[in-house]
Amino acid sequence: MIKGYAGRVLEVDLRARTFSFAPLDEEIARLYIGGKGYGTRLLYDRTPAGIDPLGPENLLIFATGPLNGSVAPQSNRFAVICKSPLTGGIGNATCGGSFALGMKKAGIDILIVTHRADRPLRLEIDGDRDAVEFLDAGDLWGQGTYATQKLLSRKHQHAVIGPAGENLVLFAGIVSNERIAGRTGVGAVMGSKLLKAVSVRGSRKLDMEDPEKFKAYTKEVRKLFEDHPVLGESMKRYGTGGIVNTTNGRNILPTRNFQKGHFDRAMDISGEFLEDHELKGVKTSCIHCPVTCGRDVEVEGVGVVKGPEYETLALLGSNLEIGDIKKVSEWNYHADDLGMDTISLGATLSFAMELVERGMLDATLHFGDQTGITELIQDIGHRRGLGAELADGTKRLAAKYGGHDFAMHVKGLELSAYDPRGSFAQGVEYATTNRGGCHVQGASMYMESVGPLTINPQNLKLKADIPIMQQNIACAINSMVLCIFTTYGMIPKAVHEMDPSSFTHRALAFAFENLPGWMLRGSMRIKGKPMLWFEKWLTYITGTTFSSGHLQEIGARIFNLERMYNLREGLSAADDTLPPRILHESTFPDMDSGHPLHLLLPRYYKKRGWSADGVPLPRTLEKLQVRV
Amino acid sequence: MSVAVQLTYAMAKELGAQRLELEGAKTVADVLRMTRERFAADPARYDELTRVAAVAVNGVLVHYKRGAKTPVRDGDTVAFVKAAAGG
Repeated sequence: MIKGYAGRVLEVDLRARTFSFAPLDEEIARLYIGGKGYGTRLLYDRTPAGIDPLGPENLLIFATGPLNGSVAPQSNRFAVICKSPLTGGIGNATCGGSFALGMKKAGIDILIVTHRADRPLRLEIDGDRDAVEFLDAGDLWGQGTYATQKLLSRKHQHAVIGPAGENLVLFAGIVSNERIAGRTGVGAVMGSKLLKAVSVRGSRKLDMEDPEKFKAYTKEVRKLFEDHPVLGESMKRYGTGGIVNTTNGRNILPTRNFQKGHFDRAMDISGEFLEDHELKGVKTSCIHCPVTCGRDVEVEGVGVVKGPEYETLALLGSNLEIGDIKKVSEWNYHADDLGMDTISLGATLSFAMELVERGMLDATLHFGDQTGITELIQDIGHRRGLGAELADGTKRLAAKYGGHDFAMHVKGLELSAYDPRGSFAQGVEYATTNRGGCHVQGASMYMESVGPLTINPQNLKLKADIPIMQQNIACAINSMVLCIFTTYGMIPKAVHEMDPSSFTHRALAFAFENLPGWMLRGSMRIKGKPMLWFEKWLTYITGTTFSSGHLQEIGARIFNLERMYNLREGLSAADDTLPPRILHESTFPDMDSGHPLHLLLPRYYKKRGWSADGVPLPRTLEKLQVRV
Repeated sequence: MSVAVQLTYAMAKELGAQRLELEGAKTVADVLRMTRERFAADPARYDELTRVAAVAVNGVLVHYKRGAKTPVRDGDTVAFVKAAAGG
């Protein structure tokens, strides 16, 4: 068995109440690492085309990778893979917390949940005894994610759903501790199987190829992270909300359902404001992570709970024109407890507000008005009244009430909080990412809009190259499974400390921007020695050499397999688009129109090795060893 | 003619205002000078707080325009922008 893996796949049949352990498929692990990659391969191979995402044929796959279970910073994440009920295409989400560690300690790399229980169940898995118990969850059904986890055994690590998952809210997530696998409706799939919780325990240790090198190097990386301006300073001090004032200054902070990119009260919902006014002195992290990007807040009547992250501050704050961080924190708590993705939630609420504003929906919902939102969030989670309609997300709401031009989703997944009109590469990434309008299947905006060394985000240079590179590396990272924030450490401290108007900084930015695309992509293909920390960790743990070239290739393989899955499920190039508002309405005085996707998409397809219709060419699949 | 200035959080704390409204600024250089004047008691503090901040007009960094010579118009927003990461 390859080092770094537990070597076992556990399959649980909820209908038959049976389980079996099988050896990990080393060939899949070699080609797809683990996590999202391994899970996508399984989903593709083991489900026929056209299944109902909420039917018993869908698989719910929990997947770890070789970094999980180690003490590498940012490495305790698991991936969930299934067919998405929100998009009809590939569904996946990753989550921090502690469940990944629990799985590896139980000696399980991959957990496949099949079929559907006949009544609410929960699973208790003891990896040391190779035992799986199917326990009645009738008493937990209806409980929020906070209460559910409190009621479960403290000896286990848990992944649970809340009422939103039970009620098949199409953007329900799966929660571990206070973190959530939020996107694409993975929680609804778990709810459709009548599975309330999975609890794992065990005492196995990770077997590494070179533990001494790993240990010594990890010590170095922890120091590097602690000294880094993003990972060790701004994220540590302000959490992810530290970016609000930056996106606002760059005119890409979603405001009023993406009608604007600038919110006058942005400072009131920023990470700095949170630090000054709302933080309760506790900053939290996933296991073994020194970044501590989470922070606690006090919600009236509830107590101290996890505070909102950037996406929540934007989608439930500026995008609704709400500048009250206490309210956003309260809504964030309710969404977490119900087990819902706050991005899709916020975007669906803002879409409904605009429908009301235009007289297309009769409801008491208005931008800038907090009235009734708390109750509506509860109604969404429980599918009551208007909430039942909002629980299906923006795309389906638009199908019923109209408003396609301002329905802010891609492939059915609501856009996250970087307006692509001020971040063209991010727009290409949104349009082409297989799970839909998402910012963590890459992070192009960091290289063009918010990072310390950015290129001009509003011309065409590199705007088809950067998303490919970003999507590939994100696929690899989500398969290790590592936190995507690790990539923020790649730009060294010295660059962060440069004056942006200095000659050196501008020269560097100029050189970056004028780099030929082939050179950028070519440099990423070099299969040399491991350089970056995650390449070295993988190498020390597994004993196989991983460099950026290897990871780009693996990432491209995963991305193309996801693409083939989507094509098989009926998605097409027509789905590689952006909301009409983004394409045709300008939020910048010097722009006549919106995002120039029509100019960039053909370039992107060509560089991907796809046909003009967005289908991976046979030679591309062959080269990447993607078997379909 | 009025130009809005979006300050960084640290600058806003220092000045006790989230944003400034400046009258009479014609270029970014004017905006920077007039903002610095608000730190009259401690101009070095302004220099410190803006050292790694880029400047954007209506969201576009001025080094993609004409730098400090970039003209500003009535209703424009000039922002001090620091690099950051979120998710």
